[in-house]
Amino acid sequence: MLVLFLAAAPSVFDSFTLSQILTKALWLGIAAASLIFLSSYGGMISLGQTGIYAVAGFTMANLVHAANGRHLGWDPIAATAAGIAVATLFGLLCGAIAARSYGIYFLMLTLAISVIVFYFFAQVTTLSGYGGIRSVTPPALIGNPVANPAPLYYAALVASILVYAGIRYLARTPFGLVLQGIRDDPARMQALGFNVPLHRALAFGVGAFIASIAGILSVWYTTQISPGGVNLAQTINVLVIAVIGGLYRLEGAWIGAAVFSTIDNYSRLWMPNVGDWLGPDRFETVIGVIFLVIVLASPGGLVGIWESVWARRNRTRRGPTESSGTPAPETVDNDVDHHAAV
Amino acid sequence: MLRPQRNVEFRRLLATAALGLLAVTACTSNSTSTTTSNVIKIGILSDCLGDFGSFYNDDIGGALSVLAAHYGGKASGALPKDGMTGAKIAGKDIQIVGFGCSDSTASKAIEETRRLVEQLGADILIGPLSGDEGIAVANYAKTNQPNKTFINGIAGAQEATLKVQAPNFFRFNPDGAQWSAGLGSYAYNKLGWRTAVTIGDDYAFPYTSLAGFIAEFCAVGGNVTKRVWPPLGTTDYSSFVAQIPTNVDGLFVGVGGAGLITFLKQYQQANGKLNSNKVMGNLFWIDPQLLAAIGTPMVGAVAANMIAADDTSAQTKAYVQELSVYPATQKDAASVFTLGYWNAMTALGMALTSVNGDISGNQKALQAALAKVVIDGPYGKVSLDSNRQAIADNWVTQITPPPAGSNVPGLKTILQIPKVDQTFGGFFDSSSTLDRTNPPCTKKTPPSWVGHEIPVNFG
Repeated sequence: MLVLFLAAAPSVFDSFTLSQILTKALWLGIAAASLIFLSSYGGMISLGQTGIYAVAGFTMANLVHAANGRHLGWDPIAATAAGIAVATLFGLLCGAIAARSYGIYFLMLTLAISVIVFYFFAQVTTLSGYGGIRSVTPPALIGNPVANPAPLYYAALVASILVYAGIRYLARTPFGLVLQGIRDDPARMQALGFNVPLHRALAFGVGAFIASIAGILSVWYTTQISPGGVNLAQTINVLVIAVIGGLYRLEGAWIGAAVFSTIDNYSRLWMPNVGDWLGPDRFETVIGVIFLVIVLASPGGLVGIWESVWARRNRTRRGPTESSGTPAPETVDNDVDHHAAV
Repeated sequence: MLRPQRNVEFRRLLATAALGLLAVTACTSNSTSTTTSNVIKIGILSDCLGDFGSFYNDDIGGALSVLAAHYGGKASGALPKDGMTGAKIAGKDIQIVGFGCSDSTASKAIEETRRLVEQLGADILIGPLSGDEGIAVANYAKTNQPNKTFINGIAGAQEATLKVQAPNFFRFNPDGAQWSAGLGSYAYNKLGWRTAVTIGDDYAFPYTSLAGFIAEFCAVGGNVTKRVWPPLGTTDYSSFVAQIPTNVDGLFVGVGGAGLITFLKQYQQANGKLNSNKVMGNLFWIDPQLLAAIGTPMVGAVAANMIAADDTSAQTKAYVQELSVYPATQKDAASVFTLGYWNAMTALGMALTSVNGDISGNQKALQAALAKVVIDGPYGKVSLDSNRQAIADNWVTQITPPPAGSNVPGLKTILQIPKVDQTFGGFFDSSSTLDRTNPPCTKKTPPSWVGHEIPVNFG
């Protein structure tokens, strides 16, 4: 039903909604999914995903025809592959550096990645400068995303499905299982002989690969990229999206992104003016309040709320069952655990 | 941990979320009605976030005041952002469909432009505010909306008109370089500077603003020995202050917005009190908000923009009176932000009147009328060149000690720079690149106004 709905969206919605709400939600969802993958399966809450997707976007934008930047005139598909490759390698490098740190130190290191990337591209005018790179040529298949948003929407939809399915698959591989073991108890996994930093660095590389897809889509979406669009505020936005959706549930990435882009757009229409306190220009206040409510009421995000409602309903139907008050990270089914461990 | 119900749960969850989104967006999509022939829809784009967010109500207040003063608009509240209804131009209802709230980044400006134009159905957009935003909106107008009309708010990057040349993007304010006209010659001929150093935020607008000083100063024989570029949003300027050499005759400051307050404080901590003969500022120095925030340190220094703040002529008084619908905006009448948006709406009102409110035919008649508009504004006439860029007078102004009972410095206009055009008499053209190192500092034929500055004294 959901797939049908999403596939039919271009004929249901006007081009603005398709582009500014749905396509935006899909690519932001992929960016948030890269963060949720790391936090949910690897126990790593990274603030570096925005910096990494910026690397992919800037690399691609410099390689194709564009105003500003290097505008080297590469074929957009080749430039996209190069952008993803460079960002993934960059992610692996950052992962290698950050892999031995945990908790707040990991958070700070990854935050530093995003800040460094922002200042790098803002300062190095031959690659971007503050004004960024404009009129970036998307592939012929995508065309002009403003005049005809459907192709980009489908590209983002297919990418989202592949990312979702890919992460689900990866979680069931031995690599994914080891990663979940490291998330739960790194010391024990080390004692069992697993190379913990290597696994964490590789996982960070996978997260970078996912984020880089979002970076490419974001450039096609606006046909430009500038440091102002990948600044600290955007880093926080990606985290807010993940938390609203559910930091420990992969589906939460797209749910959070859909809620975020809907509120971002429509709060400017709905919000009443209350003196200088509240009004359509107070989007950040609105999203901040929602963020606070979610964090206080349901640390598992919107998905967590759904789960607790579902659990309560089951409990009243079937009598008391085991239920956890706090969100549990993503974990694959036990039978697969067993199978893979053999 | 076993969760046998999860797949079913999530499918339902996603389906519910999707349907919810469908309901929400479908409901709101319906609200975007098509244009009827008796309604002209206008969107106003400004910044409510970022470095220039504090000018939000000055911007939209400048535009809406025109509707209130001339076209029967009724303010819906005390602040401009509360909206305005009831305005009619040439018998057509003017509907303000919404205000765009950007943050001085190109990506947000485009998102907000698209919301106003594509979602809310604006026929005409007034805005944006800041340099890079202006370039992005001009490109969007040219590539994606050739049948709608865009009138710049107060964005001042040269490229938006000189390079992009969108046939449906009009700018009734001078660009950043034009606002600096007169200062290069003043520094060389009056203050005796032979060498100078510049400092400005590292993005499109200051590139343009400082280019205006550099082009003129170098043309008359001066030499700019160093250009320092702190990133936009810098909060600690100490390392940039340290880069400013002291063995030069003068410093030209193009740091804007809130950054100027911090910069001046730190500059004085390092170098002592400002010597007004050795320092000069761009348009921000004489902005009413910043003047009030910074106070006396800048007294004696000279800056320039399109406003002669101490002019008390009937025309200026009439302009200030027009702003009376919004007292907070009226207080900032002498702000380029207020005047820029006022110019835009004034020009639109004149053009719409001249075509009798007819925006059919892909607005081509309206656009032709706009290109011919001459605003007889509070500080002189404003007309457009062939790239739809303003040609206007610029005013060199000296900051004076606060009047008795006030701690906000006064302003004394000293020179009128007549009919400043965007090319500086051929110094800039569509192939010009303005960046950290361009334009180069070269001695050449000075712009036409050098030597023809008109001394003024408004008493």
